[in-house]
Amino acid sequence: MVSKTMVVRAEEGLHMRPAGVIAREAGKYDSNVSIVVGDKKINAKSLVNIIAACIKKDAEITFECDGPDEEEALAKMVELEAENFGD
Amino acid sequence: MYKGIAGSEGIGIGKVVIIEEHEVVIDDRTISDTEAEINRVREGIEKFVADTTAMADKMEATVGAKDADILRGHIMLLQDPTIEEQIVDLINNEKVNAEKALDQVLEQTAELFSQIPDELLQQRATDLRDIKGRILKILLGIEEQDISDVPEGTVLVARDLTPSMTAGIIPEKIAGVLTEVGGRTSHSAILARAMEIPAVLSIEAICSQVKNGDTVVLNGTTGEAIVNPDEETIAVYEKMLEDYRKERELLKQYTGKPTVSKDGTKVELVCNIGKPEDAKKAVECDGEGIGLFRTEFLFMDRDAIPTEEEQFEAYKSVAETMAEKPVIIRTLDIGGDKEIPYLGLEKEENPFLGFRAIRFCLQRRDIYETQLRALVRASAFGRIKVMIPLVTGVDELRQVKAIVADIMKEYDAAGVEYNKKLQIGVMMETPAACLMADVLAKEADFFSIGTNDLTGYTMAVDRGNAKVAYLYSAYNPAVLRAIKRIIECGKQEGIMVGMCGEAAADPKLIPLLLAFGLDEFSVSATSVLRTRKNISENDSAQCRELADKVMQCTTEEEVLNILTK
Repeated sequence: MVSKTMVVRAEEGLHMRPAGVIAREAGKYDSNVSIVVGDKKINAKSLVNIIAACIKKDAEITFECDGPDEEEALAKMVELEAENFGD
Repeated sequence: MYKGIAGSEGIGIGKVVIIEEHEVVIDDRTISDTEAEINRVREGIEKFVADTTAMADKMEATVGAKDADILRGHIMLLQDPTIEEQIVDLINNEKVNAEKALDQVLEQTAELFSQIPDELLQQRATDLRDIKGRILKILLGIEEQDISDVPEGTVLVARDLTPSMTAGIIPEKIAGVLTEVGGRTSHSAILARAMEIPAVLSIEAICSQVKNGDTVVLNGTTGEAIVNPDEETIAVYEKMLEDYRKERELLKQYTGKPTVSKDGTKVELVCNIGKPEDAKKAVECDGEGIGLFRTEFLFMDRDAIPTEEEQFEAYKSVAETMAEKPVIIRTLDIGGDKEIPYLGLEKEENPFLGFRAIRFCLQRRDIYETQLRALVRASAFGRIKVMIPLVTGVDELRQVKAIVADIMKEYDAAGVEYNKKLQIGVMMETPAACLMADVLAKEADFFSIGTNDLTGYTMAVDRGNAKVAYLYSAYNPAVLRAIKRIIECGKQEGIMVGMCGEAAADPKLIPLLLAFGLDEFSVSATSVLRTRKNISENDSAQCRELADKVMQCTTEEEVLNILTK
């Protein structure tokens, strides 16, 4: 398993648009992709779960990828974060 | 006449088309062929995605990309793998049919969202219920009414306008909208405003009060609608519609322009707001800042005092929304006339003369310090200024400044960022403050005249008491003298003087205020363009001449005689 911790910079947090980008991209990998925030672990392939976690700007999140293409999946998530998840 | 919520400005005249809501009946049968049921769900989702994509494309053309994205979001929500997983599990394990499984899973998810106290998530819950309704209709083979087909001059009447319905609207054909539910911040209202269609929302049972083809007139500015009005009424509304269109055209040319008088004197034109989200409206309406942000609402309708963090977030969000524009935030203005149980305020004989506003705050340091700490911290994120209400003397101002200085010292030590030049000003609304204005101006960073209370306190009148309400008038020479004195004292010391009462938007008073030298006019967001136009039509020299005449007047009647000429 590989992971990376980052701080959410998107203005309105992980609301509809950024959450949608994450779920869509995470869904393209065979590995499990999760977001850990506080003591919760969320399936990053599920838009509903990301939105329900109500992750705000400045929150610290960790992406965890586990599976055959975990390196690629994590690299993609880091790349998305650099673009503020399309926000 | 029906009264509702003014959802979207404007006048509408047209014929009713009721948007029927087909009742979705889910039968509760158990099934044996689970594979077939799962396929039905998948096919339903496919059709939903195709239909919704088409709707979103249409909507992008009529309303805009942002609203089309709401619909595209619906597709993403429904395509969520966990949703499908749950539906498939339900069908396999409980042998329920496709409709029942979809209904249950989407309702559960909506319920999950609506339990979290976050405005965006509440909206998502509404979205999910809209999605649920639509996909169930697809599964049950119920055709939705095609709104794009209605004749020109239609007034749509519906229980609620869902985003999917709105997608079919061709704005040129729709004269107005009436609904049974929804408030000013609902999807229906936002979409109606985006399409500039007048709308009155939350009219009880309106769908059963009208028939298709009925004539309706509605006023989306006041929230009124009349069904089958007489010819006279129709004529009145036709005139109103024409005036409204003309005025809007006229006012449009003032958007994005600076606020200057005819001879080029520049003043600031800002907005009064009561909630953080109103700041967006101030920006939309072209306000140049916030002249009064009332913080009371943060304390109302709850069980405990808002934490420093909650307040900080609220103040910061307004400062950030307004970007580089000034934001004057008034500290807690509360007293025995407002029901806030957890503050333990006693009922008073004379609440307006009693334990309220800054008097209350200076004795309840715990509450006040929390607010000031949040304000000082938020000052790092924009151009926040702090305003103290109900000041009667300079000692109150000094006490507040001392508390703020202590907070700043503490923040310095802790390395917390804030604006070191944070301005602290006085709301000028008592005769005492007016009489001491020369002294206050030496220590305050700015003045803002609250004409509503200044009028009440100067005239010693309760505007709610019909027997004496006639005395409540900003045109009274006593009130005008008070206003003039406050502005002059402020100018003397070179501080900014603004006005955040109703008088600032009064076309009769604007020439006087310009003549006295008022720097800042704070009005409701919807009055911004109108006020900018009024100001632009005044010439400073003529205003001064008019003011000289008005200030010679001895009675309100004489004042009004001159001002209405």
